[in-house]
Amino acid sequence: MTETYGYAGKILDVDLTTGTIKAAVPDEQLKREYLSGVGFNAVTLYKEVPANADPLGPENILVFNTGVLVGTSVPTASRSEVSAKSPATGLFGTANSGGFWGSELKLAGCDGIIIRGQAPQPVVIFIHNGTARIIPATHLWGKDAWETIAAIRSELGDKNIEVAAIGPAGENLVKFASIENGPYDAWARTGLGAVMGSKNLKAVAVRGNGSVKVAHKKKFMEIVAATRQAIYGSPFYGPFERFGTMLATLPYQEFGILPGRNFQSGTVDGWVETRSRKLVPRYSSRGIACVACPIACAHWMEVKEGPYSGLKIKDLEVTPVIGFGAGCDINNLPAIARVTEICQRLGLDMVSAASAVALAMELFEKGKIRESDLGYPLPWGSEEGTFQLLHDIAHRRGVGDVLAEGVRRSAPRLAGSERQAIHVKGLEPFLIDPRGRWSTWTLGYITNVRGGDHLRTRNPVENLRHNENPVPYRTEKFAFPDEMYENLDMPEDMKWRIFHPHTKDVDIPLMSKWAEDLISLYNATGMCIRPPVLHTVGPTLIADLYSSLTGINLAPDEAIRAGERIWNLQKLFNIKHGEKPEDSDYPARFYEEPVGAGPAAGRKLDRGKVKQTLAEYYRARGWDPQTGHPTPEKLAQLGIKA
Amino acid sequence: MVILLTKVIVIRPSRCIGCSTCALTCSLVHHGEFNPQRANIRIVRDDFAGRFELRFSSSCNECKQCARVCPSGALQLVELSGESGVNDR
Repeated sequence: MTETYGYAGKILDVDLTTGTIKAAVPDEQLKREYLSGVGFNAVTLYKEVPANADPLGPENILVFNTGVLVGTSVPTASRSEVSAKSPATGLFGTANSGGFWGSELKLAGCDGIIIRGQAPQPVVIFIHNGTARIIPATHLWGKDAWETIAAIRSELGDKNIEVAAIGPAGENLVKFASIENGPYDAWARTGLGAVMGSKNLKAVAVRGNGSVKVAHKKKFMEIVAATRQAIYGSPFYGPFERFGTMLATLPYQEFGILPGRNFQSGTVDGWVETRSRKLVPRYSSRGIACVACPIACAHWMEVKEGPYSGLKIKDLEVTPVIGFGAGCDINNLPAIARVTEICQRLGLDMVSAASAVALAMELFEKGKIRESDLGYPLPWGSEEGTFQLLHDIAHRRGVGDVLAEGVRRSAPRLAGSERQAIHVKGLEPFLIDPRGRWSTWTLGYITNVRGGDHLRTRNPVENLRHNENPVPYRTEKFAFPDEMYENLDMPEDMKWRIFHPHTKDVDIPLMSKWAEDLISLYNATGMCIRPPVLHTVGPTLIADLYSSLTGINLAPDEAIRAGERIWNLQKLFNIKHGEKPEDSDYPARFYEEPVGAGPAAGRKLDRGKVKQTLAEYYRARGWDPQTGHPTPEKLAQLGIKA
Repeated sequence: MVILLTKVIVIRPSRCIGCSTCALTCSLVHHGEFNPQRANIRIVRDDFAGRFELRFSSSCNECKQCARVCPSGALQLVELSGESGVNDR
């Protein structure tokens, strides 16, 4: 076999129904056009999952692929992508995670693994130095994710094994079950844990003693150093190293864009003193990194007093703090950390779980769910009620069984609570409120191919210093020093189109396309979307890293084009699987109910203007402005055969 | 009299964030490939406990590349200056 650089050169293909294991070598054209990660996943799923496939049936396919830069010292290149037809949305389900699993898979000699069929009994797939084994795991069924990880390491006699595992939520086919990546990370969104559960697959464990080879070592080292310097040079680097994602907790409250009490209030009483980044130093003195990451945005948290005294966990992350701290109004970080632990053990997506609990709390407040339905009270902020309900969801007990379907499906069964169910295409967005802050980021809630979510688009120079009122819809403010604009890794002609020449105001539809393509490029290569990376590392650096690592020459315009190709292919998957143009829309609450309190109080979205902006976005994408379908011309340009 | 400038690695294990950039870089520099098993420095991670242990192998030739890339200050290059005696060595 010829030497392969960057890529391990092997994708395993496991059929759990028959127990057969094959391997394929990714070809040159596939590498160049789709890179790896989400790109490879999209190709496999678009080609091979039939339109009528039941997401929880044996015909669904679960694919893991690492980013091609993973396993090297490229700063933040830790990430791998898992995809399948989503049981939450029925569309392209996909999730991205860092940690050490992806780099271990590369050292085990594999870029990815395709998993088909359904095992007759619970199993674990163990990949060790290029070969896979299917191991019976009936004794692990029922264990939580942490117990499963520890048991697999102990039984296989190697504490360095990296484990992707489901908890009880995945086993019980909860529509927002996650795949846990080691104890504290996860491929969380779109319910992929349930797909794993439906296949009777408890875990994918990996261990490797191999290597990742580099085509042009000297050049590669130079570009890695330049990438590191670019990230260090970001004005966000210091604050992110210090506060991690908790950095955003102050501006969200200041702008009144928190999803307080299930998006009823833009601010939360006592937020700054109880749940903001100001608390980070009280609970943590150090960061914890994913492999090769210089930022270490997560923090090691230790609670030394109060009812959660003794709790130690990698946490202090904005997602659970916004979801459970604002959305459910749990008013202290130690309790939110306990929620994090519970979700990680049960294998629940914390974003969707928070949305489900917040919906239940709102219905409890309105008397539509009673204590007698639940067996316990569930007022806003209830810690014990939240813990109990999360267990009920994961084990599908009572009201928890209904909520386990996700808010879209559970709302009609809970006293007609569709108005309170916040989702787009069946996925729950639970971060900032688009009514309070309209931006590239919040347009992304409805353009995102995986449904309502904040992680597949983001203006790389997003400005949390400005909040405009009234909302201009078409643009958002830049207002950073010009240097940031000049340093942005974006072709000059693109800058001229996206940024207003004098004010640098950002054209939202054009920026949305750019950001989605860029993040697709990240998710195909393994880069992380934290702001210090997002606004310094673009197609030029990534193409140079890719070329010097793999020996396959990729130009910057080919790199961003690959991101665009991957986004279009995911959209085609969605159209094939039944996505309708009207699905790309916000929940009714955002149009019909104004934000309840805070600086954004009284604001709501304007349907006409949203529709107009969406049509502009479709035009920017070269898609039909009415249907949002990629045009034949666009597909021909990208070389996609639909 | 001669002023000696020596760079040494100061090791502060409590600052380690576990990223293993040191080991990855070491293996690339000395073996031409990314292979943490062949690196002269190893980060032993206890992920559940969030603890990291730094271990140098006896084959380490103190090239200090690991410290040059460490982002956290766990490995830091520090210049020591001292006056030597009459004989330059």
